[in-house]
Amino acid sequence: MAARFTATRFTMAGLSALAMAGAMMGAMQAAQAQTGEPTAQGDVSVTIYNDNLALVQDVRQLSIPGGVSRIEFPDVSAQIRPETLSFSAPGAAIVEQNFDYDLLSPDTLIEKAVGQVVTIVRTNPASGAETREQAKVLAVNGGVVLQIGNRIEVLRDDGLPVRVIFDKVPANLRARPTLSVRVNSDRAGTRPASIRYLTPGLGWSADYVALFDAKAGKVDVQGWVTLTNTSGTTYTNANTLLVAGSVNQRQATPYARRPMPPGMAATSIRNPGTETAGREQLGDFYLYPIANRTTIASNQTKQVSFLDVQGVPARAGYEYVNGWLTTSTEAQSADSVVSFSTSASGGLGDALPAGTVRFYQKDASGAPQFTGENQLGHTPMGSQLALATGKAFDVKVQPVVEQRQKLGDSKWRTTMRYELTNARPDAVTVDLVQQGLDFAWADTRIASESLKSERRSVDAVVWHVPVPANGRATVTATFETRY
Amino acid sequence: MLRRLWLAPLLALAPGSALAQQAVVVSQAPLSSSVTVYRDTNREERRFNLRWLRGYALISEKRRVSLPAGDAVVRFEGVADGMIAVSAVVTGLPGGIEEKNRDARLLSPASLLDGSLGNRVHLRRTDRATGRVTETDAIIRSGPDNAVVLETPQGIEALRCSGLPETLVYDRVPEGLSAKPTFSVQTRSPQATEAEVTLTYLATGFDWGASYVATIAEDGRTLDLFAWLTVANGNGAQFDRAQLLAVAGQPNRSSDFDALVERPPPPVLRLSCWPMDSTSTRPGPPPPPPPPPAPMMAATADILVTAQRRTEKAGFSVIAAQEELGDLKLYRVPVPVDVLPNGQKQVAMIQREGVPFTSFHAGALEPWREETASVPLARMLRMDNREKGGLGLPLPSGSVAVMRRRSSDELLLADSTMKDRAVGEKVEIAAGLSDQLRLSQTVTASTEKERRYRLVLTNATNAGAAVEIAIPRLDGFDLATPGRLKDKDGGKLWSVTVPANGEAGLDVVYRRQ
Repeated sequence: MAARFTATRFTMAGLSALAMAGAMMGAMQAAQAQTGEPTAQGDVSVTIYNDNLALVQDVRQLSIPGGVSRIEFPDVSAQIRPETLSFSAPGAAIVEQNFDYDLLSPDTLIEKAVGQVVTIVRTNPASGAETREQAKVLAVNGGVVLQIGNRIEVLRDDGLPVRVIFDKVPANLRARPTLSVRVNSDRAGTRPASIRYLTPGLGWSADYVALFDAKAGKVDVQGWVTLTNTSGTTYTNANTLLVAGSVNQRQATPYARRPMPPGMAATSIRNPGTETAGREQLGDFYLYPIANRTTIASNQTKQVSFLDVQGVPARAGYEYVNGWLTTSTEAQSADSVVSFSTSASGGLGDALPAGTVRFYQKDASGAPQFTGENQLGHTPMGSQLALATGKAFDVKVQPVVEQRQKLGDSKWRTTMRYELTNARPDAVTVDLVQQGLDFAWADTRIASESLKSERRSVDAVVWHVPVPANGRATVTATFETRY
Repeated sequence: MLRRLWLAPLLALAPGSALAQQAVVVSQAPLSSSVTVYRDTNREERRFNLRWLRGYALISEKRRVSLPAGDAVVRFEGVADGMIAVSAVVTGLPGGIEEKNRDARLLSPASLLDGSLGNRVHLRRTDRATGRVTETDAIIRSGPDNAVVLETPQGIEALRCSGLPETLVYDRVPEGLSAKPTFSVQTRSPQATEAEVTLTYLATGFDWGASYVATIAEDGRTLDLFAWLTVANGNGAQFDRAQLLAVAGQPNRSSDFDALVERPPPPVLRLSCWPMDSTSTRPGPPPPPPPPPAPMMAATADILVTAQRRTEKAGFSVIAAQEELGDLKLYRVPVPVDVLPNGQKQVAMIQREGVPFTSFHAGALEPWREETASVPLARMLRMDNREKGGLGLPLPSGSVAVMRRRSSDELLLADSTMKDRAVGEKVEIAAGLSDQLRLSQTVTASTEKERRYRLVLTNATNAGAAVEIAIPRLDGFDLATPGRLKDKDGGKLWSVTVPANGEAGLDVVYRRQ
């Protein structure tokens, strides 16, 4: 095992290779990937934030010689933010930290060989006979220019096979980006050395499975924490902690895998709650620890359960939002909305981390079928949630501008008619919302209406319109706008 | 036919690790499956593209696994390649689930290379002239970014830069790579047991639509409305004797499904080399073109026709049944069917005969159009989606082929679309433009106070034609039309029958308020 291991870790050069080999044996026993691949990681703790950011702490048993030496850290995140690295080991002071990302490839190999002598092997296409020559690489600019004896040639200009053999891999060319520190140690010996850094590429969000029973008015909710690792590195046997909330990242990070549409997430909370969940908190973040140590493999999506609540009261409803005092030439489907509470009494009884809620309903054979999904923002306990799951096939609204009259230089009157239809065999109530009342400092009021409205805000009114089974309903309203 | 089920507890991990004691239980194939297909709602009524299916499906698979007591990893092999792992729900495991994992690491040329980094492999060269094969040991020294630098006993070389036929031969497959898309869960079972588990997940790469055929009877007063439930599966996975369902309506889709699906490995491992300009090329050649897309043949060759083209009064033994599903409509194919990879399948879903309809021509006054050239009118068919209108059933959106029955055959009149129509709604199908019925619109006066229009309808056919012209309302104007016109969408509707080879006219005045 040791032999295979040292063959694997070729990135460790010179001095530290020997020193590291021993340390790694220890690390290997502590940490074994599911894939069986050896790793240089020690005792790893990963704290993952929602916004594609993680704090990795890794305590490795390192044998550090006395005096100044260089220590490499293989198996750190491939996307590490190297400037955030901190290293500490008893009795060792940092001289400098380096992050080298000059990677070994045919390109860099030949570029570093400029001015040096390489071996070229020509193969005779007819006989297969090989001839060897020494060649000096003069330049690599678009093509490779070689000096062979007194002749100048372009490598493989005639398209015939030519092997180029280099004596060695140039120093500082690496298979993967490598992090190293140069330390000045007051003594020699093995000791725990901890490194800590931030990395993007690790993120988490929640995924909820909500089985909704419309007849019973109940919903069963399972919550899963979904961890994604696109950082390019496996974190072996890691102690994992998830923080619900986002830390301010001034710096732009690479493409986040699951961006949260902020507007959407915010609208699902109807009434923010004021209850505190019985979970560990850090400042005003909730912490979701994962019970056992777990290996977060590279390119893996991992889900761990954190919530399972049965029979929470839930209600189905309908909502239609007309964005502006305007006509639709066709009836538009209303949104199907499921609402429930996150309160300890009569609700889910937990603070919900942001994520996607997928709704299922049982079909005639009793099998659950997907009926739509929506996003949820970080939701305090005790909140009232209303999530649109999709468009209702059978409940439609057609808004029509009956008349828009100019009453003066800065005054208009708009008469709206809303035709609501219900093709379902049961009566429904549609929350009909007229938005766009507060545009460009306009002042809009309702002069008359056929049903009592409720002003939601300066921008919107809502009517709770009962529509009979297999029937229709009409709401009319006159708006006066002054600007 | 059920595929052979193969179960094997494997013990394949290194000693000394906490995870090593875990058994790995492999479930290779489901016992039975159910596929519920959802439309791509952004597609609206357009046809789907078999090579780029943007809808999705809820797949539910029943699988049997033998669990050992204690911790075990259950690997579900052969899930759909478009699996959205975060949506997966597993039920039926006696100990519940501790965690779910989706590894995107499929065995491919690239993953083989990546997994062998730093390991000993063999470099095989074949001499083109003599056919002699030489094999040398090598260690892969570079990272996986599409270029390989090898250390051989002779020195450092780059793979496939020499122009010689050369390749790498590996001793073993790196651990953790699987042949087919795999989903795994960790469970802890109180005792060894045989369990039937259900794995349910969403997967991309499906779509469905209703394909209507409306055949107008010879008398021109009724039509027969027929619809296929057309389902397409663009995944590599096959579902034998599956329960097939389709959902009509518009369930919300808020996450980016494409981003949630693990991408399959790239089909080609491309190795880059050092710059290869020769003396006859200009510096900075353009990059090579991307590989051509997979030939269309692959998609079209697998189209299954489950019934022949509909002939006069054809009967269907299988018609998808409609159920309610919350605010959506669910269609269930009553018999198990095989859902094949890269295949499209059609099953009858709607069959109504003798549906009365009216046909008319439609147009609109366009207040801000100045040119006076006449425009053709749209041919329309109108049905009443009620029991007494011969229908009275939900009509999901899709394509409509309007056929006209002649004495012995049928002619295509229009290739049109249908939107989601609930019971009780009017159903209007646009059936192309008529050049024989035209609307001329002339602005006869335009002043500060008013704008006058003259509308003239001309009919070049030898039959009277019903025409409906919408006259819109304008903000800040009063609309004055002679006679009594019906109200429509805040404006007016001019309904008139234009006599055969004749004309009809209307004057419209918009007065500023």
